[in-house]
Amino acid sequence: MLSRAETEILDLVQEAVTLRTTDGRILWWNAAAQALYGPRPMRAAGRAAADLFGEPAEDDAAALAALRAEGAWRGERLRPGACGGPRLVALDWRLRPDGRGGEAILETGRDVTDARRDEAALRKSEHRYRNLFQAMAASFWELDFFPVGARLHALRKAGEIAAYPAYFDAHPDFVREMMRLTRVVDVNEQSVALFGRPGAPDPKAELMTSVEPFWPEASSPVYAASVVAAVSGELSYAAETRLRAIDGREFPALFTACFPPDTMNKGTLLVGIIDLSARVAAEAALAAMRAEQARAARVSLLGELAAGIAHEVNQPLAAIAANAAAGIRWLDRPEPEVAEARTLTRRIAADAHRAAEVIARIRGMVSGAAPAASPCSANAALRDAVAMLETEIRRAGARVALRLDPADPAVIADPVQLRQVAANLAQNALQAMAGRPQARLELGVRRAGDRVAIEVADDGPGIAPEHLPRLFDSFFTTRAEGMGMGLSITRGIVEAFGGTVRAANRPGGGACFTVELPPASAAGSAPFSAPFSAAVAAPAADPSPAPAPTGADRRA
Amino acid sequence: MTPSSDPAPPLPAPLVAIVDDDPPFLDAMLGLMRALGWRSAGFASAESFLASPARAEAACIVSDLQMPGMDGLALLSRLARDGGAAPVILVTARTEPRLEDEARARGALCLLRKPVAPEALEACLARAMGAGPG
Repeated sequence: MLSRAETEILDLVQEAVTLRTTDGRILWWNAAAQALYGPRPMRAAGRAAADLFGEPAEDDAAALAALRAEGAWRGERLRPGACGGPRLVALDWRLRPDGRGGEAILETGRDVTDARRDEAALRKSEHRYRNLFQAMAASFWELDFFPVGARLHALRKAGEIAAYPAYFDAHPDFVREMMRLTRVVDVNEQSVALFGRPGAPDPKAELMTSVEPFWPEASSPVYAASVVAAVSGELSYAAETRLRAIDGREFPALFTACFPPDTMNKGTLLVGIIDLSARVAAEAALAAMRAEQARAARVSLLGELAAGIAHEVNQPLAAIAANAAAGIRWLDRPEPEVAEARTLTRRIAADAHRAAEVIARIRGMVSGAAPAASPCSANAALRDAVAMLETEIRRAGARVALRLDPADPAVIADPVQLRQVAANLAQNALQAMAGRPQARLELGVRRAGDRVAIEVADDGPGIAPEHLPRLFDSFFTTRAEGMGMGLSITRGIVEAFGGTVRAANRPGGGACFTVELPPASAAGSAPFSAPFSAAVAAPAADPSPAPAPTGADRRA
Repeated sequence: MTPSSDPAPPLPAPLVAIVDDDPPFLDAMLGLMRALGWRSAGFASAESFLASPARAEAACIVSDLQMPGMDGLALLSRLARDGGAAPVILVTARTEPRLEDEARARGALCLLRKPVAPEALEACLARAMGAGPG
C-alpha cells in the first residue's frame, strides 16, 4: 500500500488525497481528506466510497472506464462535508499499483465550493455590468488609463509636476499625449452609433484606438480636469463639453467618468457619454422662438408707435387744413377779407410749428439708441422739461412748483434722455390733472440717501391701486388716446442708467413719481439736510414755499 | 346785398356745435364755419356741450371721436338715448381702418378723417341741414 514515509508526506499536502480500490473501497486518506470529509483515516479505511459519499456506483464505473482509457479522470462531485454542508470537490484520479500485484486509485480532491460560488457571483456581476454597459441609452467606454497613471507617476517622482492643473494648463501638448496614452478597451453599441463612421465595415474596430481623436482641441481642458479628478481621489467627474465622432463631426455631450478605487487599481475606468445635440437643438429652437417673439413685439410696438405718431401729427395738420380752407373762403369772396385771411395764415404758421414740435418730441423719444452717460444736472433736466412743455402747461392752466436742489447734484445719465424722463413724467401729471381748475404740477430734486431723487407730483385723482403694478408696462394706459408708452420709455431710460422709478399716491391726493439715480461722484453722496427733503416729501400738505427753493412758483 | 323785403323778423341761422379737445383745431373749425357762413359754437369736451343750452339748439354736431372723458361714440349714444338729437358728424385723427363702419353703426351721419377735406365737411353739413347755411 503506502509506506509510512509516503503517508507522512501526503499528510502535508493541502489537497485531500485518498487511496481507494478499483471496486470503490477506501484504503486510506490523508489529513486534508479528514478535514474535508470528517472521518479519521483509520475509520474511513475499509468503507465503501459509494456509502460514505452517497455516490451512485455507475458514476464510479464511468469514471473508472475513463481512467483506464486515458490514464486519468477529472471531475467534480458534491460530497457531504465535515461541517455538514455539501462541498463541491474537484477530483483527479490516477491509477497506481497497490503493491500486491493489483491496481489502486489515487484520488486527489480539491474543495472548490467557495471558489465556484465566487466565480458564479463574479459571473453574475460581470453579466449585470455587461448588460448595463450594452443596454444603457448612453454611450459607455471602458478605458485603460494605466499608461497615463504610470506616466504621471514618473513625472511626479522626477519633480516635474508640482500641481496637476497648473501643469496641464501650461502643457496642452502633454494633455494630448495623455489622451493618446488612454486606450479604448471596449465600447457599447451606443458608442458605435454615436462616434462610429456610418457605413464602415467594422465601425466598432475603428473606435478601438486612443481617446485622442474624440476630443476636439477646444475640449482638452475638460479631459485635463477629468484626469485631475481621477488622480486626486475623486470618485467621479462630470462636465458638459463638445466631443468628436471618428468622422470629425462634433457634438455637444455630457461627459461623465467614474473612478471606483477597485477598477482604478487595475488602471481601467468607465466613461459615460450622453449626446446633448437634441437638448442643445431644443434650446436653440427655444432661443430662436424667443427672438422671434421679441421681434414680433417690436413690430407691434412699431405699429403702435406709428399709429401714435400719425395721431399726434394729424391733429395740427387738421387745424392747418381747416384754417387754410377758411382762409380760401375769405379770399374767394367778391371783396376778399384780407384781415381774416391774415389771422388764419398766422394760425396756420403756429399749427405748422406745433406739428414740427410733435415730430421733434417723438424723435427725442425714439432716437439716441446708444445713450452717452455723462454727469449731468438733475436741476437742468427739470428746468428744460418745464420749458419744453410750456404749451401743454399753459393749456392745462397748471401752476408749476419747481423745487431744485441748491447743491445742483449731478447724476450719470444722458442729458437729453434725462430731460425726456422729466418731461414724460410732467406730461403724465398734466394729463392726470386735465380739467382741474387748480391744477398744480410739482417738480423737485433732492438727495435720497446715496442717490439723487427727481420727484414729479400732481394733485390729480391719483392712481387706482389695481393700476399701480402695471403702470410702467408697455401699452398700459388709462387714457383712450394714450399709447401706454410714456412711462414704459421712462422706466427703460432710468434703468439703463442704473436707476429706479416708482409711483405712489400722496396722502393729500394726487400721485407722485420718484426717479432715483446714482450720483455722478461718490464725493457728493452724503445725505442732504432734512428740512428740504421733508418739504419736498410732503408738498401737498404744505403749499408754502420750501425753505430754500431756487426755482420759482409760477402760473403759466 | 339787397335789403330783405320780408316783413317777418329773420330766423336765426341753424347752429353747428363743434366739440373737440384740441384747442387749435377747435379754433380752426370755428373759423372755417364762419367762413362758410354757418353759425357755430365750440366746446372742449362732450360734457361741456351736453351741459350747455347749445345742446337743444344745435342743428348739427361736429365732434371729435377721441377725447378724454366722454368720447365721440359715447356722446353719440347719449344723444340717441335722449332722443330727438341733431345729426352728428364725427372727426378723428386716428388712422385705423373700419372706424367709419363703427361710427355709422352707432348712428353717426358720417366720419371724417383729420385733416378734414373742406369739401367733404361741406357735403356732410349739407346732408345734415338739408340745405346750405341760412
